[in-house]
Amino acid sequence: MAMMELQNVNKYYGQGIGRVHVLKDVNFKANAGEMNLILGPSGSGKSTFLTIAGGLQTPTTGKVLIDGLDLLHLSPKQRDELRLKKIGFILQSYNLLPYLNIADQFKLVDRIKKEGNISQKAFENLLLKLDIKNLLKQYPAELSGGQNQRVAIARALYTDPQIILADEPTAALDSNLVKTVGQLFQDMAKNEGKAVIVVTHDLRLRKYADHIYELADGQLTERGKVSPAIV
Amino acid sequence: MFLALKEMKHEKLHYGLIIAMIVLISYLMFFLMGMMLGLQNENDAAIKEWGTETVFLNKNSNDNLSQSLITRDQLPTKEQGNTALVGQAPVVVKTKGASKESTQFIGLDSSQFISREKIKVTSGHKVNKSNEIVVDESLKKDGYHLGDKVTINSQNEKYKIVGFVNDAKLSVAPVVYGDISVWRALRGLNSEAVASGIFSDHNLSKGVYPKLQHYTAKEYINKLPGYSAQNNTFTFMIGFLMVISLIVIAVFLYILTMQKISHYAVMRAQGIPARHLVLATITQSIILMISGVLGGILLTFVTKLVVPMSVPVIMNWPIIALMAVGLIVLGMLGSLLPVRMIVKIDPARALN
Repeated sequence: MAMMELQNVNKYYGQGIGRVHVLKDVNFKANAGEMNLILGPSGSGKSTFLTIAGGLQTPTTGKVLIDGLDLLHLSPKQRDELRLKKIGFILQSYNLLPYLNIADQFKLVDRIKKEGNISQKAFENLLLKLDIKNLLKQYPAELSGGQNQRVAIARALYTDPQIILADEPTAALDSNLVKTVGQLFQDMAKNEGKAVIVVTHDLRLRKYADHIYELADGQLTERGKVSPAIV
Repeated sequence: MFLALKEMKHEKLHYGLIIAMIVLISYLMFFLMGMMLGLQNENDAAIKEWGTETVFLNKNSNDNLSQSLITRDQLPTKEQGNTALVGQAPVVVKTKGASKESTQFIGLDSSQFISREKIKVTSGHKVNKSNEIVVDESLKKDGYHLGDKVTINSQNEKYKIVGFVNDAKLSVAPVVYGDISVWRALRGLNSEAVASGIFSDHNLSKGVYPKLQHYTAKEYINKLPGYSAQNNTFTFMIGFLMVISLIVIAVFLYILTMQKISHYAVMRAQGIPARHLVLATITQSIILMISGVLGGILLTFVTKLVVPMSVPVIMNWPIIALMAVGLIVLGMLGSLLPVRMIVKIDPARALN
């Protein structure tokens, strides 16, 4: 079943002669239990794709369906709730608050989403898998880029989302950790039935993906498992 | 609360500086208020101590007790109850071993309500004879004691201090209570002069003394020389400080919010409701204001203990509580500016 679906999505920015067509007739489906990799060079519309898929902004034309719900028909408050409950964002900027230590980053989630988060046992396994269990008392500024990235991944998965939207989740990681994160995403898709969508430059993630897409000049094309050359 | 407290704990310097600023502003406000009340008290303590509700002066006195002179023919033939004749004269007192002091002599009739009910001696006893006086406690520190023989102006007669009273201040001078006949002698008046003014602790109408000028207590106090000008000056200063505190808290929270926009965008992208972030900001402003205001009150209290007696400071707790609540409300108003910014944050910024 399609957890997320984009139907004929177009996005324009600006007006008049400065108008830019960023996404062109994009059609995309992310099914539960599958990992999707979207590759594309800078400026190809990857961030716009993610913000529209995650309900952070609306398309100029077209539809975005999440778990069968049309985002256009939801109020901003309902979209907030949907993001909190169903979508786990992993952002390039690590999405961590600098004034909370790592343990408090998770406590904050508990305070806002009081039910439906992963169990304590699953949380500890996640920390072990990402090798961040010993970092709980530290602040983001005290961690390396790679450690922050892994904490951000754990933070996004903590709410037990049905959809994982990741923006360059392995940019700061070495090959061993790319393998860990790739396997984690694959595991989330295969064993927990989540829909994983990763937008990245990182070709090392190809082998974990079920579907590979190329986003170039605003057009999304499925490339199977064979990666296009990234310019 | 969680976010607000965690952030403040982590950013101690940032928030410490804001609290310090609020402490200083509120300290200045509370101290000015304390001085205003202190100076008010120096002006009107005696009048309030008498429970004054109504005052009558001579119509040509220009609202000034010391320039008023009421004569027997200005009084109705039937004596009015609940009133007291008050004779006022600025005098200089002196006794052996103590400095000369400028005071306000208040001559009273011992059978009338002020002398009978309102003068509460803290030591000694009330005036029973015309050569006895009761003086304000503040004269003790100037070397005046019970039993001292005091000279008033350049009179030959000596007056014995038989008692002390608290809060006996009039026109920024300590009061010396004596018999009304002494007032006549001090002013060189004959028995036709009955008093400077007539005070009552009841609301009396103008018709009670038709030949005299009628004042309510509030009207009379506001017409004390310099009283209104002094109060208005302090009130304006305190008002401006309130406005400044509103601007300070609004600007600081606005700048802090601007610095945190990217964090807020990330939280909004994650689905954290704007309401939660707004509450965190308002909570922060309340915590900042409460900490700052408590610090200001504490500093004012310490200052009151160390300032010399010549700087009158009165801490009136109900007024302080009212001002504190006012400041906290202003702080919350100040946080509305960043709140507006938070509500308008575009969560899509999290990806930029």
